[in-house]
Amino acid sequence: MLQRPIWQRIQWKSLIQPWQNIDWTLLVLIVGVTGFGGILIRSAELNQGWTDWMQHWIIGGIGLILALLLARTRYEYLLQFKWVIYAVTNLSLLAVMFVGTSALGAQRWISIGGFYIQPSEFAKVGVIITLAAMLHERTASTIPAMLRALAVTAVPWGLVFIQPDLGTSLVFGAISLGMLYWGNANPGWLVLMISPIISTIFFNLAFVSPWFIGVSAVWVVLTGAIAWRTLPWHRLGTLATLVVNLLSGGLGHFLWDNVLKDYQKDRLVLFLDPDKDPLGGGYHLIQSRIAIGSGQLWGHGLNQGTQTQLNFIPEQHTDFIFSAIGEELGFVGCMALLAVFWLICLRLVIIAQNAKDNFGSLLAVGVLSMLLFQLVVNIGMTIGLAPVTGIPLPFISYGRSALLTNFVAIGLVESVANFRQRVRY
Amino acid sequence: MANLPRILPLRTASRGSTPQPRTQKPGTKAREIEPSLARLTLVWGILLGGLSVLGINLYYVQVTQGPVLQRKARQQQQIFMRPFVPRRTIVDRAGTAVAIDRPVYSLFVHPKLFTKPPEEVAAALSPILNRPAPELVNIFGQQRSGIRLERTLPEDVAERIQNLQLDGLERIQYQQRFYPQNDVLATIVGYTNVDHRGQAGIELSQQNLLEREVKALRLTRMGDGSLMPDQVPGGFLNLDDLQLRLTLDTRLQRVALAALRQQVKQYQAKRGGVIVMDVHTGGILAMATEPSFDPNKYYDFPVERYKNWLITDLYEPGSTFKPVTVSVALEAGTIKPNSTFHDPGGITVDGHTIGNAYTGHTGRLSVTEIIKYSSNVGTVKIAQTMKSIDFYNWLKKLGLGDRVGIDLPGEVKGQFKKKEIFTRARIEPAVTAFGQGFSLTPLQLVQLHAAIANGGKLVVPHLVEGLYDSQENPYWQPNLRPPQNLFSPETTTAVLPMMEEAVKAGTGKNAQIPGYRIAGKTGTAQKAVRGGYSSTAVITSFVGILPVDDPRYVVLAVVDEPKGGAVAGSTVAAPIVKTVMESLIALDRLPPSSAANSAADSAPVRRRRPSRAE
Repeated sequence: MLQRPIWQRIQWKSLIQPWQNIDWTLLVLIVGVTGFGGILIRSAELNQGWTDWMQHWIIGGIGLILALLLARTRYEYLLQFKWVIYAVTNLSLLAVMFVGTSALGAQRWISIGGFYIQPSEFAKVGVIITLAAMLHERTASTIPAMLRALAVTAVPWGLVFIQPDLGTSLVFGAISLGMLYWGNANPGWLVLMISPIISTIFFNLAFVSPWFIGVSAVWVVLTGAIAWRTLPWHRLGTLATLVVNLLSGGLGHFLWDNVLKDYQKDRLVLFLDPDKDPLGGGYHLIQSRIAIGSGQLWGHGLNQGTQTQLNFIPEQHTDFIFSAIGEELGFVGCMALLAVFWLICLRLVIIAQNAKDNFGSLLAVGVLSMLLFQLVVNIGMTIGLAPVTGIPLPFISYGRSALLTNFVAIGLVESVANFRQRVRY
Repeated sequence: MANLPRILPLRTASRGSTPQPRTQKPGTKAREIEPSLARLTLVWGILLGGLSVLGINLYYVQVTQGPVLQRKARQQQQIFMRPFVPRRTIVDRAGTAVAIDRPVYSLFVHPKLFTKPPEEVAAALSPILNRPAPELVNIFGQQRSGIRLERTLPEDVAERIQNLQLDGLERIQYQQRFYPQNDVLATIVGYTNVDHRGQAGIELSQQNLLEREVKALRLTRMGDGSLMPDQVPGGFLNLDDLQLRLTLDTRLQRVALAALRQQVKQYQAKRGGVIVMDVHTGGILAMATEPSFDPNKYYDFPVERYKNWLITDLYEPGSTFKPVTVSVALEAGTIKPNSTFHDPGGITVDGHTIGNAYTGHTGRLSVTEIIKYSSNVGTVKIAQTMKSIDFYNWLKKLGLGDRVGIDLPGEVKGQFKKKEIFTRARIEPAVTAFGQGFSLTPLQLVQLHAAIANGGKLVVPHLVEGLYDSQENPYWQPNLRPPQNLFSPETTTAVLPMMEEAVKAGTGKNAQIPGYRIAGKTGTAQKAVRGGYSSTAVITSFVGILPVDDPRYVVLAVVDEPKGGAVAGSTVAAPIVKTVMESLIALDRLPPSSAANSAADSAPVRRRRPSRAE
C-alpha cells in the first residue's frame, strides 16, 4: 500500500554515476558564465532588433550536452585518433581557403548546411589534443622533442595566420607556450623561442625613441646569456641566438612593410594612441573605453548603459561584449566576473595537477592557456591595453563556433577530472 | 570539496630548470609531468598577474577615470540644438508678403580635402556659380580650408553643387530674411543682420512678435549619429502660423514712392517723404521715403539710408501748421469761424517784420481766406488773440516737443521752446503760429491734421495691426493709448471747409481731384540753419485730408530742398498728394462726394477696410 513516490524510486545515484567524479564547480561556473553572456548579448542588441542571445543560449545548451557526453567518455581514447584529429584540423583550415567566406578583410568561415562555421576556432582544440598527445609520448625536455612538437603546431598555425586571423594564431602561440612549459620544456628555451619577436618590437621602437636602443642591447645580451646557460651547444647556440635576434630586429621593418596588412598594422599600433584616428581604427577603442569608464563603480544597471543601448560600439555583442559589462555592471560587476574566471582557471590548474597521466594534465593546461590568454587579451583590448585582434571573450562573446569549441574543451577537461583515478580497485 | 585533494605532495623543484627526462613507455599510466612547486608557482603567478593587471586597469578606467569618461560619454550622446524656427512673416493689410524667411546656403571650400585636382573642381563649379574657373582656382590657392565662396546660394543651385559629389565642398544651410518688396518698404520694415536679428524698422521694434519662442533642445544621439526623439518636448513641431500684419498697403506705398521719386528727381531735391494715415485708427497706410535702400542687400548702401527720416528727423512745418493754430484759437474761443482780420501785408513783432509769401491778398481777410491764401500776418493776428501762456499750454497739449509714440525704433522728440522763453518774447508765439521757430517730425504733423480730420481726437500713429493666424483670426493686437480729445467737432467742422477752400481756390489747387472734396494746406518753410534761416533752402510740403464729407485719410508729402525757380508746397508736394489720393480712391473704392460743392448733405457712408479678396 505504501508505494514510494516516483521521485524516490528513481536511482539518482545511478543516473549521475557516469559523471560522479567530474568537477561540478567548474561546470556550474561555466554554465553560469554562458547564461550571463546571453543576458549581456541581449542587452547589447536590445536596440538593434537582433536576438542572438537566444542562439547563444541554444548553442550553449548544445555545448553543455556535448561536454557532458565527452566528460563520461574516457579521454585516453583520443590518443589513438590524434593524427586523425590533426588531419581534420588542417583540412578544415585548408577548406576555408578554398570555399571560405570573407568578412572584415579575412577569410574565416565555411558554410555547412546553412551554418557558418569558423574552423580556426575548432582548430584550437585540435591543436591542444594533438600537442597533448605528442608531449604525452615524449615530453619537451629535449630540444628535438620540443622542436618536433613545434613543427606539428606550426602547420595549423601557419594556415590560420595566412587567413589572416592574427588573433587566433596568437592563441595558438599561447597554447603552445603553455603546454610546452607544462610538458617539461626548459623555460629558457621558451624565452629564446619568442625572443626574436620581442627583438623585433624593441628594434622597431628604437626607431621611434632612442631610449629603446639601450633596451634592445640589454635584451640581446640577455638572450645570449640564456642561450649560453640553457642550450646544449653553448657557443653555437649563443651565436645563433644573437644572430637571429639581431636579424629579426633588422627584419622588423621589412616585415612591417611587406607582410602585415594595413588593418593589422592599424590594430597593432592604434591601441597605443587611438586618438590618432578617432573616427577610423581608433573609434572602437575609444568608444569601448568610454563605455567601460562611464560604468564607474556600480554601473548603469543591466540594459541601462547609454553607450551600449545607443549602439556606440560596433560589434559589441561579439568581441566587445566586455564593454557592455563594464558600462552596465560597473567596476564591481567586472571584478565579480574576473573572480569567476579566476575560479575557473583555478579549477583547471587543479585538474591539471591531479590528472592521472601526462595527456590529461596537458589537455587541462592547454585549455587553461587558451581561456586565460583569450580572457586577458580580450579584456585588455576593450580597455585599451592590447591591440584589437579579434579575440572573443570565452563563453560570453557571441560566436557559435567559439562557444562550441570552448564547451568541447571543457568537456575534455571534465573527462580528465572524471577519470583521474590512477588506480582503480 | 571532494575533488580538491592531492595537490600535495608537491615535489620540491629541482635546482636546475631542466627536469630529469624519464624513460617510460608512452601510453602507460604513470605521469612524467610531476606536479612541481616552481611550475605551479609560475602558473599561479601568471594567472594572478594577468588578472591583477586587468583589475588594476579596470580600477583606473572605471573608478579613477570614470567621471571623465562618463562626461565624454554624455557629451557624445547628447547634442544641444537650437532648432531653427523661422521668423514670422510680415504681411501688409491685404496679406501681401513683406518679409519672409527662406533657406539659403553658403558654400565653403576646403581645398585640403579635395580628392580631385583644384582645376577639375573649379571647372565643375564654374558653370553653376557663373564664375570663371581660373578665378576659382586662384581662390582655392589662397587658403587650405575654410574659404567662403558664396554667401547666399538659392536652394536649387545648392542642390546642383551637391549633385557634383565632390569632396572638400561644404554647404551650410541657413535661413535668410527675404524682402519681396525690395526698397519699397525698406525704411519701415527694416532688415535683419546675418544672425537673423532685426536691425531697423519693424524688424527691430517688433523683435518679440517676430521671433517665435525657441527652446534649446537636448537630444540623444545614437552611435550612428541618428537622433532619438525621447527628449523632445511634446508639441515641439507644432509651429504657430501667426503672421505679423501691418496697417500698410504695399500697393499704395508703391504709388506714393513712385510719385515721390518723380518729384524728388524733377526738383533735384535732397530727399522726400510721404505719409498716409487713417485718421480714425492712426494706422499708417503708407510711409515712403526717398532715397531708400534694398533690405536684401542692405550692406551695399550707406548707413544713413537705413533710417526713416520721417520719424528720426525734425523739420519746421511752416504753413501746414496754420490750420492747427486756427483750430486752437477756435477751441480756445478767442476767434469765431466768421472772425475777420486786417492783413496789411506785413506786421512787426518785437522789431521783426513778418511778411506773406504770396502777395496780392491784403486787406480784410476772413479766417477761411487766411488759410486759403496762407496769410502769415493773419495767422499771427489769430494767435495774438490768445495770451501767450494759453497758446503755449494748448501747444503742449497737442504734444509739441514730445514723441507721438509710433511702433518704430528711433523716433525723436520734437523741439519746442521752454515756457519762459515762449511767453517772454512776443515773437515766439507769432512765428509758431505759422509753423516756424519749433520743429517736429513729419509724422507728428500728420497726427495733428488727423485730429482736425477726425473730429478732434489725437490718435496714436502705428504700423502694427497685430498677429493673425492663417484663418485671419486675430491672435494679438497692440494695446494703443486711447485717443485724446483735443478739439470739439464744432471746431473741426469749421476748419475743414477752410482747408477745402485752399484746395478749391487757394494755394492747394494742384491737389484737386474732380468729384471729390479734398481739404489741404501747403507749406513752404525756410530751412533753419545755424543761427537763422537759409535764404535758399526750403522744405516744401502739402498735407491733404480726404474726403471732407467723411474724412478718412490724411496724406502728407514733404520734399526737402527742392531746386528750381518756383518751388513751393503747391508745386512740389501737392501733386504727390494728389496722386496718392487718387490711388486711395481706387484702392478703397471711395465714392465720389455726392455734392462736391456742398459740405452739408454728404452721406457719411463709411466703408470698411477692404478685405483681401478685393
